[in-house]
Formats: sequence, structure tokens, C-alpha cells
Amino acid sequence: MKRRKVDLSRLPAAAGEALDERFQAATPLRRLMNKVFPDHWSFLLGEIALYSFVVLLLSGVFLSLFFDPSMADTKYTGSYTPLHGVEMSQAYNTAVRLSFDIRGGLFMRQMHHWAALLFMAAIVVHMFRTFFTGAFRKPREANWIVGVLLFWIGLLEGFCGYGLPDDALSGTGLRIMTAIVLSIPVVGTWVTTSLFGGEFPGTVILDRLYIAHVLLIPGALLALITVHMGLLVKQKHTQWPGPGRTNNNVVGVRMFPGFAAKGGGFFMIVFAVIAAFAGLFQINPIWLFGPYKAAVVSAASQPDWYVMFLDGSTRLMPAWEIRFHLWGGGYTLPPIFWPTVVLPGILSMLPMLYPFLEARWTKDKRVHNLLQRPRDVPMRTALGCMAIGFYVVLLLSGGNDVIADKFNISLNAMTWAGRIGILLVPPLCFYVAYRICLGLQQHDREVLAHGVETGIIKRLPNGQFIEVHQPLAATSNGHGDEHGAGLEYAGWTVPKKMNRLGALAPTVKGFFYPIEKPAPPTARPVEAPVSPAPAREEITSGH
Amino acid sequence: MSSEQSRRPLARMVPAGTRATRSRLRRRLSAGVRLLAALTLVGGLYSSFAPGIGQAQDTTPKLSQSAEAGKRLYEVSCVTCHGNNAQGVDQRGPSLIGVGSAAVKFQVNTGRMPLARQEAQAERKDPALTPAQADDLGQYIQELGGGPQLPDSGALAGDVAAAKNDPNRLAHGGEIFRVNCSSCHAFSTGGGALSSGKFAPSLEQSKTDDIYAAMLTGPQNMPVFGNSELTPQDKADIIAYIQNLNSDQDPGGWGLGRYGPVPEGLVIFLVGIAFLVFATLWIAGKS
Amino acid sequence: MSTHTDTAPADEELDVLDPRNTKFDLIKEGARRDGVEIVHYAPRFPVAGTKAERRIERSIAFLFFLCFLGGMGFVVTYIWWPWRYESGAAPAVLSKLYNPLLGASLGLALLTLGMAIILWAKKLLPEEVSVQVRHDGQSPRDEQILTAAHITNMGEELGIKRRPLMMGALSLAALPLGLAAGAPIVGAIIVDPHRKDENIFDETGWNPKYNNGQPIRLTREDGSPIKPEEISVGGQITVYPGIPGGATNEHADSPTLLIRLRDADAKTARDNAANNTRNAGSQWGSYVAYSKICTHAGCPASLYEQQTNRLLCPCHQSQFQITDNARPIFGPASRGLPQLPIDVDSEGYFIAKSDYKVQVGPAYWERP
Repeated sequence: MKRRKVDLSRLPAAAGEALDERFQAATPLRRLMNKVFPDHWSFLLGEIALYSFVVLLLSGVFLSLFFDPSMADTKYTGSYTPLHGVEMSQAYNTAVRLSFDIRGGLFMRQMHHWAALLFMAAIVVHMFRTFFTGAFRKPREANWIVGVLLFWIGLLEGFCGYGLPDDALSGTGLRIMTAIVLSIPVVGTWVTTSLFGGEFPGTVILDRLYIAHVLLIPGALLALITVHMGLLVKQKHTQWPGPGRTNNNVVGVRMFPGFAAKGGGFFMIVFAVIAAFAGLFQINPIWLFGPYKAAVVSAASQPDWYVMFLDGSTRLMPAWEIRFHLWGGGYTLPPIFWPTVVLPGILSMLPMLYPFLEARWTKDKRVHNLLQRPRDVPMRTALGCMAIGFYVVLLLSGGNDVIADKFNISLNAMTWAGRIGILLVPPLCFYVAYRICLGLQQHDREVLAHGVETGIIKRLPNGQFIEVHQPLAATSNGHGDEHGAGLEYAGWTVPKKMNRLGALAPTVKGFFYPIEKPAPPTARPVEAPVSPAPAREEITSGH
Repeated sequence: MSSEQSRRPLARMVPAGTRATRSRLRRRLSAGVRLLAALTLVGGLYSSFAPGIGQAQDTTPKLSQSAEAGKRLYEVSCVTCHGNNAQGVDQRGPSLIGVGSAAVKFQVNTGRMPLARQEAQAERKDPALTPAQADDLGQYIQELGGGPQLPDSGALAGDVAAAKNDPNRLAHGGEIFRVNCSSCHAFSTGGGALSSGKFAPSLEQSKTDDIYAAMLTGPQNMPVFGNSELTPQDKADIIAYIQNLNSDQDPGGWGLGRYGPVPEGLVIFLVGIAFLVFATLWIAGKS
Repeated sequence: MSTHTDTAPADEELDVLDPRNTKFDLIKEGARRDGVEIVHYAPRFPVAGTKAERRIERSIAFLFFLCFLGGMGFVVTYIWWPWRYESGAAPAVLSKLYNPLLGASLGLALLTLGMAIILWAKKLLPEEVSVQVRHDGQSPRDEQILTAAHITNMGEELGIKRRPLMMGALSLAALPLGLAAGAPIVGAIIVDPHRKDENIFDETGWNPKYNNGQPIRLTREDGSPIKPEEISVGGQITVYPGIPGGATNEHADSPTLLIRLRDADAKTARDNAANNTRNAGSQWGSYVAYSKICTHAGCPASLYEQQTNRLLCPCHQSQFQITDNARPIFGPASRGLPQLPIDVDSEGYFIAKSDYKVQVGPAYWERP
């Protein structure tokens, strides 16, 4: 039979046609490739979380091939001698085996754990960027809520994850979680015994944590991430104000090839950071902790950093137990209820409601696609700094015994410092941030009105010394009026140094030292190429 | 010269008319001498026959040579806070009766004693006395009041070495360590905070004898783990576990001090996020 | 074919099939149809083959080469470098370097790959500024009206409102099906915490029922019983019920701290306990036994300070005064540790006279 010759040069086109016949992909594909993304460094922070999630999925698959979450008892016979013959659960056994008896297993475990820490850190940093720039406003309230949910579900996933090896540190954490759930009024004991299938720790909890960790919660996370990305694609990304940018357009680079290349490159860099950490920094050395036993604990016991603020709130809470009598029975609200159930409830609800609260307060119903500089919304920025102050005090209090030990401070004093700090630090942060914002705003207006300080000191004939200011634009009388009738503030960076004038980007390029030949100025969207500079006069304008 | 005066030649020197005074004075003088002689006689008789005050100093037990040297060291370095006979001084130092040479050797060889200042807890510092001096001091306290003693240093070192080579003993040491010791000294043996400024010190550099002595004598707020609670073999197993842990390099890279989630969280922000933020600045700039 | 009308302003449709179109014309037209206007598109090196361009190319190529080295290093290390566990330190024990080498090589490979791609995008791809039109706000009015009509029509056609029998029947049918979804949860997953035969919260492993009604001996982890003289003054030991599995997590609420107090402290403890109806008589000589399970959140409260007689829990820094019924004196714990009443049996070993007299561990809503 005659064989048809395959025309290689036509292969891609033929494949494309075959796909298009079935899926009509031509237009949607091109539309995707032409999507424009604005180009700012702070817009890449969320991607760190996305790429960490991919690494988590990949490394997690590897780990799941070797890990067994069973709580059945076994004796250790692996190669780590200090655990030789020790009785432990299968879960701990397989986790230690992964670390010492599977080639590259420790590397994978550490990659998985560091990626989890980075995932949560990136979410926090991204969340603050979104908050401080006002990107959560209409129409993106739903995306903001999805983001807050991603934080809390990510926290839960991390908790389930580090509890799986059944080591003494995470087992203690599980015990504390039990106490937290127990403290919930009315249903606490029911939820706890149902979760554990009986008394703590029972024989099923690890299997349940495992299925939550590898199936249920990742499913929820994937769904939420898809919604998050989908909303972003549909609503398009926000952007900073600037030349050519309006509330109704997006100025930037198209997806292919520019933005995708940057995204792909950044993925490699994030992955590189995780891989480097996995090899160079040890994390969660479970073999030092031994298997979980109810009588074993260590000094310096903390949960992973993203849960540590709740440990801090628990440590600071005074011993205020509420007992009361109802219908002939005595009922208890243990002190642990407030810092670990009520506080997270408030901390999840309040951020989710914030976009609506702020819209109500500012009476703002418009659609916003342009970002705001934090200094231009001092109330929001101050509130955010207050939240950060609150969070950091709790975070530090979560590690207060390590701080006490390493810095020779009394443990009791650390607790009291935290209790007082949690009341004093947030208002202080609020006030300081607010004043700084106002000050920055004022400086912007001042430069717009009077021009940039040149550093040239001039002596007037009457003996007065003045600094010469370079106005930012020519106005009718050569410089702005005394009372700010110069340029209008456009919501974007006001150049404050001489070498930033004209291009809104440094004309002297180079990060650590100037590059000898200055780069050509980047053309702005709607202007003709730069014409030669006009002859300049001596600078004589004042102030 | 009168005839009276010639019969008594000394009288010649006395002016006439003072004969009655002279003899009264003389009588008094001679009475005083007689009294003095009588008192001396009685006193001497008394002191030679009465139970000797001087003999009271001789009721202390005879100390060995090492203990004598220790006693001299004690009187220089320790007596201010621990008292003349190691009975303790209120608000300054506890009694050392019954603490044993093991306690002394621990405190002195780790430099904790002599105490530099009164604070929440004695701090480990460079020892002020040599090990030989510590031995002498310990011997003195041991002979004074008794108490627990360290086993032979060489034998203990041998037992610890044997335990390090025996996986069963090493693992057993780990198990007892985690039940009894890690709550204060941490899984990593790096130590931890106790209440009100006290702390359990790091064991990362601790010597065999010091660890043994600490378990045996329970210095300051550390509980006492006597030999019927943790046998000498148990103690050797624990020491072997601790020392093996600290000589075993972290397989996962730099251990971050083995302090757990606190430095891990710090590193992810200060190194990871910081590096990535710089990376984003490079990638996208500030347009 | 899409029929959207949202093109960027000012241009007319290009004839795509015109053979005089340049590639860039096609690009611009495609972008225009997607609502994008490419306002600036300049190659970085308009003159091909300049020194500067070659320098960039060389840097990128070098980065790719480093990536190759890193990748090869990773594969070689992964497969051939010694990795089995040995106690000791590098460089004597090479396996200690296995993980760091893996991290360094893979990190290098990925970092250089990422940098190469980014450099390619930043320095070789053309400079570009594009503007895309957003389409915010409401859908066109007629679309809204049409969709609303569809939805309301659905309701009308189904006719639920004018068929009350159907509505009632539907609601009735839905009820058990809704319950059916909840049945597995209630029937299988939910466990009654106060089941009489289990007594999860009211009993621990010290309950004599585990020993045929006999008091249970205090034992070490290996099961050996304990005599009073085995604990030194100022000493403490963790004890477990002397029943099968007593020292395992099967009885995770049972670990107990047995402490031998100094005589003066023992007297203080006894005096303080005398005023407490539960704890009076639980002490034996100068020995006290308290539950190790912290009443705050359940961690083992095990940092015993023998001079201050405080028991510190490392999790949240609750402190309990052992000489005063183990009542909390600092930190978030609000209830003292339960005391185990102890005695010595005829053979001289410690026994628990009874179970704890109060619930062990963290509190809960219906705690008596």
C-alpha cells in the first residue's frame, strides 16, 4: 500500500486545523493571547502563592506515594538509629522513613513544607497589597472574599498537613485543637467526639486528616483558586493611575509573549527559592520530636507561623472562665473560647465584610479599576497598619517563650508585655500611620505647588538665603502660585528628586551603581518622539 | 641619826614622822602581791582541772587532705553565702549539708558557683576554680554533710560510649529524655524558658559528668532524678542520646538552631519573601 | 465567529485576506478585534546583530548553560551521591551534604532558567505598551430585559404559584430527601460524647473498673510499679495506670506527675488541701500526684520547678502552685490540676485510691 508522505512543515498548521474543527478555538485562543496585563511589581505577589500551590501539589503527590496515615502501632526498624525499636504509629513510621529511607524523600518533604509556608506568606503579603491599594473595591468584593477564604482554608490545610506525621509537636497541636473545639458552647463535646470517633486521640483521626488534606481541602482550594483567577480574567486586573490610564482601560503588556514569559520566568524563580530552601534550610525535623505520646512535650512548642498568631492570642488571654447556671445545670465558657474561636471568627468575618463597610462609610458606589496610593486614603491605611500591629503582637506572643529564653527576658514579663501591647500597639500604629500618610500627602502637594528641591542655595540681594526649586511644569507666571494653584495631583507618584524628572522613572539606570550609558527614555503612549531640548536659561525662580 | 633609824637602815631614807604611812603602804602593797599570787594559783588550778575550752576546737572530725584543701577554698570562695559550716545564710545561699560532692562538682565545674550576683538563676560561666580544686571542694562538702557522689569519670565515659554504639540503648535514652527532660530542655536539647526569668539551659555543649551530676542532684529548680528513679545505666543512655544528637549534623541543611517554627517563620519572610520581592522589582519595575 | 462590537476606537476592519498585509498588520487587527490597541511596539534592537544584542544573547545563553549544569548536578547528586543515614558530621559523613547539594543544584537550575526567561522578555522581546478597553458596568439593557423575561417565564411555566397542591407535595417530598443527606452524618459520623458505657470525659484509666474493682498501681512507662523510696526529695516522675496499654495513647488522659515534696512544702500542701473537699486526704506523706494534662488546652504540664514548687505548662505558660492544690497562679488556665488520691499498698507500691475526683483536661460547655 502506498504510504502517504507526512509533510512536516505543514504539521503544526494541520494540527491547528484539526483542533479548530473540533473546538473552534481560534478566537478564544487569540483573545486570551491578547489580554493585557498591567506591569507593576506588586501585582506579582499573588503569583507567588499560585506557583507555591503548584509546587505543593507536585511534591504532595510524591509524598502520598510513600506516606501511610494509619494509627496502627508498629516498631521502627528504619535507619535512623536513635529511634531504633521505638513504638510508634504507622504514620510517624512512614514519615521518618520518607526522611531517611527514601532517596530524596527528605528533600521532597522539606520542599512541601517550605512551599506551604511560602504559600501562606505570599497570601498575607498579597492580601495587604490588595488592601492598601484599594483593589478590593467594587466590582472586586467577591474576589476579595474568595481571597480571605483562601487564607483560612489554606491555614486549615497546613494544619492538617503538619499534623499528619503524628510527631510529638504536631500531636500536641492536635490536642490543643481538640480543646479549642471542646470550648465551643453546646456542641463542643459533640463535634470533638464525632471528629475523633470517640475519645482523644482515638484511631481514626489521622485517616480523616489525611483525606481532608489530600482530597477535600485541595479540592476546595482548587475550586476557589479557579474562581479567583476566573474573576481576575473576567474583570481584568486593576492598575495604577498614570499617563494614558483611565478607569476604563488597562495599559500594559499583552499576555503572549511578554506577560507569559515574565510569569513563566517568575514561576521558575519561586520554584528555585522553594528548592533552595528545601535543600539548605532544615524544616520540621520530626525525628527529633519522637512519636506523639500524651505525656511528652517540649519547651518552645509552637504551631507553624501562619497559625502562631492564634497561639499568641491563647497565651495572652487571662484566665477568665465564665460559669453560669441555666435550667438547673452549670455551664462553662472556658477562657480558651475567646482567643481561639471568637477571635478567628471576627478576623475572618471582618475582612470579608470590609469592602462593603468601607463603601458604606465613604458612600462610594462607583466601579473602581484604578488603584489608590496608600497615602491618599489615610484612614484605610491607618486601619490596615493597626491590623498589622495587632497581628504582629499576637505573632510575637506566639513565640514568647523562645524570645524569653534567647533574650534573657522573664517569661511572665513577656506575657504581660503582650497583654499590654495588644491594647497599646494597635492604636499607636493607627495614629502613626495616619500622621505619616497626611505628611506624605502634604509633601506631594507641596512639590506640585512649589517644584522639586534642587539643592541649589541662592542668596537674594536682601541677604535672605533661599533654595531654588524646579517647577514641574511651566505655568502662566513661571512657577506655581503661592497657594498651590500649580499642578493638580493625579493620584500617582510625584517626582521629588531631580533625576526623576521628565520620565517618572530613573534616568540613571542601575540598581547598585549607575550604568555608564543612560538608557534611552521610554516613549509614552500618545506622544511623538522626544524633540531636542530647547536652550535653557539660568534658573532664577525661587522657593 | 636616831637609834631607831640605825637599827633599820631603810628607815634612814624615810623622813622622820612617816613611819605609820610607810608601813600602811607597804602592807597594802604586800597584800596586793599576795592577792595576785593567790588568784594566779587558783586560776591556774582551775584551768588545768576544768573541762578545757581549748579542747572544744578539737571535736570537729578529721578531714582528709583533699577535704582540708577544699575547706580552705571554701573559706575563701563560699563562706559568705553558705555560712561557716555550710549551714547556709538566709536570703543568700542554701545549706550544703547533704548535697554531696556531685552537686559541688556540677556547680563549680560549670562556673555557676561562685555566684557572680543574686539573680533569678545562677548562670553558667567560665569556671573560677580548676577541676582539681572542684574535686577538693566537693570532697570537703561530702565529708561535712554527705550526699550523692559522681561515679568514676572514666567508667561513666565508657558506659556512655557503649550506649552510643548500641541502638537499643540510644533509643531508650531518647525515650526517657522525651518523657522527663524535653519539657524543660526542649527536643533539641537547646533549653527553654521557665517562669519568672528562670530557664533550663542548653545541653548542646554539656559534658558527661556535668549532665550526670545535674540529673543526680537537681540543681536549683531542676527536679532530682535519683539513682532509683533513673538508674546509672538510664542516665548513661540519656547522656549518650543528648551527645549523639548534638554531634549528629542536621541532614536537612542548616538547622536554624533547631528552635522550630519560630525561626522557620522568620526565614520564610526575611529571606524568602524579601528575595522574591526584589525579584518582582527586577521583573516588573515600578512603571 | 464572534460578533462582538467592542473594538478599540478609530480603526476600521482590516481585510485579513489581503496579501499585502504585513505580519504586524495582522497582529494589530487581531488585537483590535479583542479590544486591544498596541500603541507602542518597538524592537529593542532595531539593528540586528549589534554588540549590545550579542552581549544580551550571550548572557542569556550563559544562564541557560548554568541551568544545564544545575540540572545535571541535581540528577547526578540525586542518583549517585551517598544518602543513607549515618550519625556524624560532614565532610566525614558525606550523606549530610546530600540534601544541601540537591537544594543548591535544583535552586541554581531553576533560578538561572527563570532569570534567562525574564531577561529574554525584558531585553529581547520588543518593548510594548498596549491598551485594552474594559467593559464594566451593566449588560446592555435589552439583554437584561430578555434574561429577566426568561427567568420569570420559567417560574410561570412551572406554575408553582397557581398549583398549591404541587407546591405542598413538592415540599413534602423534599423534606426526607434533605434529611437523607443528613442521615449518614447523624447516624454514622456523630458520636454521643456522653455515652454511659464509654464515659469519655468522666473517667480516666485510673478507674478501678479497669482492674476488676481493685485500685490501680502507679507505674513507669515500662509498666514497673513504684515504691516511695525510689523518688528523691525534690524529684518527680511521670506515672501511668498499671493496666494493659496504660502508658499508651489509648489512655491519653491518664498521665500523672508524682512529686515528692520537701517536708516543709509537704506540710503546706497538706494544710492547703485540708480546706479543699476534693483534695483532702489525697496526699500520701510528702508525695502528691497531679494530672499531667493541663486544664487549659490539654498539653502535658510538666515543667516542675522544685524550689518554687510551680508547675509550668510549655504551651501557653500556665503556672500551677503544687503546694496549693495545683491552683493556677499565672497564665490562661482557670482551673487547678486534678489531684490523684494515692496510697501505698501492702507490698509497698503506690496505688491510686480511686479515679480523679474531677474531670481531667480542658473544660467544656456542660462540664459539671
